[in-house]
Amino acid sequence: MIALLAIPLTVLSMQQAADSAIAQRLAGRVPPQIASLVEDLGTAAAAHGLPIDPLIQKAIEGSAKGVPPDRVATALRVVAMHLDTAATALRDGGLPSDTLAIAAGEFAISAGLSGSDITALARTGANAAALTVGLRVAGTLAALGVPPAEDIGLVSVELRAGEPASTLLLLPANVQAEMAKGATAAQAAAGLARAAAAQARHGPPPGRGQGHPPPPHPPHPPAPAPHP
Amino acid sequence: MSGHEFHPLVKQLLDGDITLADLPAELRAEGEEALRLLARVARTDVTMPAVTWRVMAALERRRRRFLPWLLAPALAAAAVLVLWLRPGSPPPSAPVVTVRFVLVAPEARQVSLAGTFNQWDSHATPLVRTGPTGVWTATLTLPAGQHQYAFVVDGVRWVPDPGAPAVDDGFGRRNSVLTL
Repeated sequence: MIALLAIPLTVLSMQQAADSAIAQRLAGRVPPQIASLVEDLGTAAAAHGLPIDPLIQKAIEGSAKGVPPDRVATALRVVAMHLDTAATALRDGGLPSDTLAIAAGEFAISAGLSGSDITALARTGANAAALTVGLRVAGTLAALGVPPAEDIGLVSVELRAGEPASTLLLLPANVQAEMAKGATAAQAAAGLARAAAAQARHGPPPGRGQGHPPPPHPPHPPAPAPHP
Repeated sequence: MSGHEFHPLVKQLLDGDITLADLPAELRAEGEEALRLLARVARTDVTMPAVTWRVMAALERRRRRFLPWLLAPALAAAAVLVLWLRPGSPPPSAPVVTVRFVLVAPEARQVSLAGTFNQWDSHATPLVRTGPTGVWTATLTLPAGQHQYAFVVDGVRWVPDPGAPAVDDGFGRRNSVLTL
């Protein structure tokens, strides 16, 4: 009998800990009804192995921007739905539950990619850490206007080649550099994907070691450039 | 057998000090009887399995009774640890990157930066106006990962970074994206 009580008590203590963590982070930042909704959604998300941080961040963001609570609530439900879609897509791609990858997938979906795009990246066989970076980069490329086909094509080539995170993180700057020269976002991404695939087939150019090739153009610094 | 008292020589026989042949003829029958009794006792199982089983069963019940009370706090502590380690705060060894944010806003009286890295606090990270051209800058050290942000002009106007990719913020505006 006591053994039967132990599991519910443990689950209850976990839920209380999750609620407490959410309440602490939201204290004084969001209206009570939003805090309550985040606790409900967060508890359900945590029970399914989903991250709760994107929900907390969205609630804080909405309140900081002065968005009416009903609109924040709608946005929160969309985030919860995106988290669920991302988790399902990653599972379909063979990646076991990983909260960082799911959060990165949620961002990619909010940037315009779909669950099947995420599954395609997961099927490259990249490990969870590399895939997390790949999803963030894919989302950033989508935010730059790269269409999903070219976006997933480029990031997939890099993931399959086992490129390090530092190389993946340069992709948005490289695409921006091509766009600054007059290419469309799709053309820029497709060109970089062809170059990466050719290099994967033939190895690095002569005169270079086994290291990574230089980007087509000098990478932009991570800081956004000023615009007149 | 209780109350039976053997002859001292028979006792010596039982102790193994002498043999049956050493006994006088009149004591040999008594000696043989004593040896038969000894053999029977030696074949008898002198352990008490029923008692042993009951004692061990009681100890097992007591152990099982306490196990959930020991297990539940251990599981709860593990759950709290897992929750603490969930994403949200970067791991202590996460690399950091120094980033310079720039906005050209000649008409602005004040500009600040709000984003996921400062809990969207529009007062936490003011930009500094550099020179008379209206260029506002701030340099931050951020953990590697993904950040969303916007500039807040004059405390009321949320403006995405014109030089960075942007995504829908879910509220009808755009957030700039920084992937480090």
